[in-house]
Amino acid sequence: MFKVLQQVQEYAKESLQAAKYIGQGLSVTFDHMKRRPVTVQYPYEKLIPSERYRGRIHYEFDKCISCEVCVRVCPINLPVVDWEFDKKAKKKKLKHYSIDFGVCIFCGNCVEYCPTNCLSMTEEYELASYDRHELNYDNVALGRLPYKVTQDPAVIPLRELGYLPKGVMDPHDLPAGSQRPGKRPEELVESMKSEQE
Amino acid sequence: MNSGIDLQGSFIETLRGFGLSPGLAKTIWLPLPMLLMIIGATVGVLVVVWLERKISAAAQQRIGPEYAGPLGVLQPVADGIKLVFKEDVIPGKSDPWLFTLGPVLVVVPVFLSYLIVPFGQNLNITDLNVGIFLWIALSSIAPIGLLMSGYASNNKYSLLGGLRAAAQSISYEIPLALAVLAIAMMSNSLSTVDIVEQQSGYGILGWNVWRQPVGFIIFWISALAECERLPFDLPEAEEELVAGYQTEYAGMKFALFYLGSYINLVLSALVFAVLYLGGWEFIVPLDHLADWIGVSETTPWLQVLTGSLGIIMTLVKAYFLVFLAILLRWTVPRVRIDQLLDLGWKFLLPVSLANLLLTAALKLAFPVAFGG
Amino acid sequence: MNLAEGVQIVSFGILAVMILTAALGVVLLSNIVHSAFLLAGVFLSISGLYLLLNADFVAAAQILIYVGAVNVLILFAIMLVNKQEDFSKIPGSLFRKVATGVVCLGLFALLGTMVLVTPWALDSTSPAVIENTIIALGEHFFSDFLLPFELASVLLLMAMVGAIILARRDLIPEVSETTDTVTTSLTLPERPRELSSIGNVGENN
Repeated sequence: MFKVLQQVQEYAKESLQAAKYIGQGLSVTFDHMKRRPVTVQYPYEKLIPSERYRGRIHYEFDKCISCEVCVRVCPINLPVVDWEFDKKAKKKKLKHYSIDFGVCIFCGNCVEYCPTNCLSMTEEYELASYDRHELNYDNVALGRLPYKVTQDPAVIPLRELGYLPKGVMDPHDLPAGSQRPGKRPEELVESMKSEQE
Repeated sequence: MNSGIDLQGSFIETLRGFGLSPGLAKTIWLPLPMLLMIIGATVGVLVVVWLERKISAAAQQRIGPEYAGPLGVLQPVADGIKLVFKEDVIPGKSDPWLFTLGPVLVVVPVFLSYLIVPFGQNLNITDLNVGIFLWIALSSIAPIGLLMSGYASNNKYSLLGGLRAAAQSISYEIPLALAVLAIAMMSNSLSTVDIVEQQSGYGILGWNVWRQPVGFIIFWISALAECERLPFDLPEAEEELVAGYQTEYAGMKFALFYLGSYINLVLSALVFAVLYLGGWEFIVPLDHLADWIGVSETTPWLQVLTGSLGIIMTLVKAYFLVFLAILLRWTVPRVRIDQLLDLGWKFLLPVSLANLLLTAALKLAFPVAFGG
Repeated sequence: MNLAEGVQIVSFGILAVMILTAALGVVLLSNIVHSAFLLAGVFLSISGLYLLLNADFVAAAQILIYVGAVNVLILFAIMLVNKQEDFSKIPGSLFRKVATGVVCLGLFALLGTMVLVTPWALDSTSPAVIENTIIALGEHFFSDFLLPFELASVLLLMAMVGAIILARRDLIPEVSETTDTVTTSLTLPERPRELSSIGNVGENN
């Protein structure tokens, strides 16, 4: 008899605890409603990609020496290098170069290993198309430079969280000249120079 | 007793003033409240859909619909128009008759249940003697429609979703009915108008929440389960069942399901407001206030004022409950099917039975406070 | 004939046609699921008839119990064991059909005579519209219909106890270990569930 009462008591206690936890959860949810939205209103506002952003790959046809290092370091041997040996000049003559961005994983190995720096990463990420074959970029398409978000008049560029001044969470309406915490690369270069002198 | 505006009487009087026979005037009157209720219910759904999207967005620190109309209020309308224009797909090897009938059977009883929701003394379609019981009875038709659409879709997920919906619906109907029964016992009537009348006179202190705190919680949990709202949305759990019984539906038939679920949510909130939060009653008793100022109860402007205040209060209470439901949606994770049935049969059922017993005992002990 | 009477007659006609067609469909259709759904139609139409007879509580209870509970359970049973199977030919099916027809006709004749014999013409004043059917029903339940009412509740209790005994598997003694040589790696041996004491119920919620 006494044991049953104790069991009932424990059960009631557990139920109350569960109710308390649900209440705590509700208060957390309710608290979030007061906070400002953190979303970026995408087609009208865009985040500025960071310096090391790995976007669509840019390629300079004239610098390329057809060494095929990019093909070898690529996890899936993706770049297509179409060259022919020119016997007169005793040199490889590059005819076509293409990368299929429908397959590329943007790991950046090709950019890392390219001996002549003819490959580089851009900040372009809007690669949607109606046909996947349109994503197979040839050397002309690869040579195009993307628009900068900061120069597009139709877009409000927003800084990413790490590039906002200390303590600021909202990228909208920042005062002119506000800087992220820490030193910027050019300031670092300045300080290194002054240390050397 | 019968204070408040009598719209029907005055409408018929006006028409008779134009020289129409009383029978004809009554015939003209009859469809008007029903039409108004259907339109009101649909508009209520649009508002709830908008609120759901906006509040969900706020709870997740998003903005939500913004560009369709001011603050995105036209977004649900845009959704509805899109659904109207979509192709009506009936999957091959399905059962076309049952497939079409399923959504209808889900929506019609919910619309019918609006019969019993009172917005004021005379501001309802009918004041039925069985009022609240009719709501419970009608809401038990919906599982048939869900089973029907689940079976007719010829799809595993649909069938599982339909079976789950039916199981959930019949399990939670019992605690729901028992919680309602405790209220009916206190007000000696099943009529929604009587239930509100019984809570009136003391403002916020007279509401049933204070007399039925346990029933309040049981009713809310069961109502959420009946509406398949998020802690209990197993029948359409997208992570496991794609979309449950709605998987194969598109276009207008899907829209019917969508409409049905949201009307059901609004309806549950309205009934909840009627049962526990004093229906159309204001926070302070208005009759006493009017007496105190020295205005007669039959003054036209006072009647219009109390009538519109009644509608506003009912809606405010209902939408507050909808708000709570949306908050709960983003707070509580979905339960498993065995947890759901455990909660229904092993927790809510005994607790609601104990609540009923306690209410009966209190009614015998303190007939003044608990309805003699 | 005023508006209310006209509406009553028309709706009675519609309901009668609905009941008859749906009931015939329940019996005659070969698809058992269609039959079950049509049964719900029959129950709904009957509740409409109750409404026409001013029995609002009975109508609502009819929907709640027959449509919401009985029919859903029937559908559950059908859908959980739904195995597409053709009817096998039974020898002497003609004789069986004739016998069934005779039995049905006999029942129909019995009901028909009952309908014809019963004096339906009620005194126009006596079926006074009962103000609150629920109170009247309750009074009948606890006075002249007390015994059937209590018997029905005992019957339901027995059914419930029986269902619980069937559903609780822990009363069945543990199966001896010799039988589980048949179980393959793909099937889980079904073990009786351990006795759940009241204490750990709380963990389930």
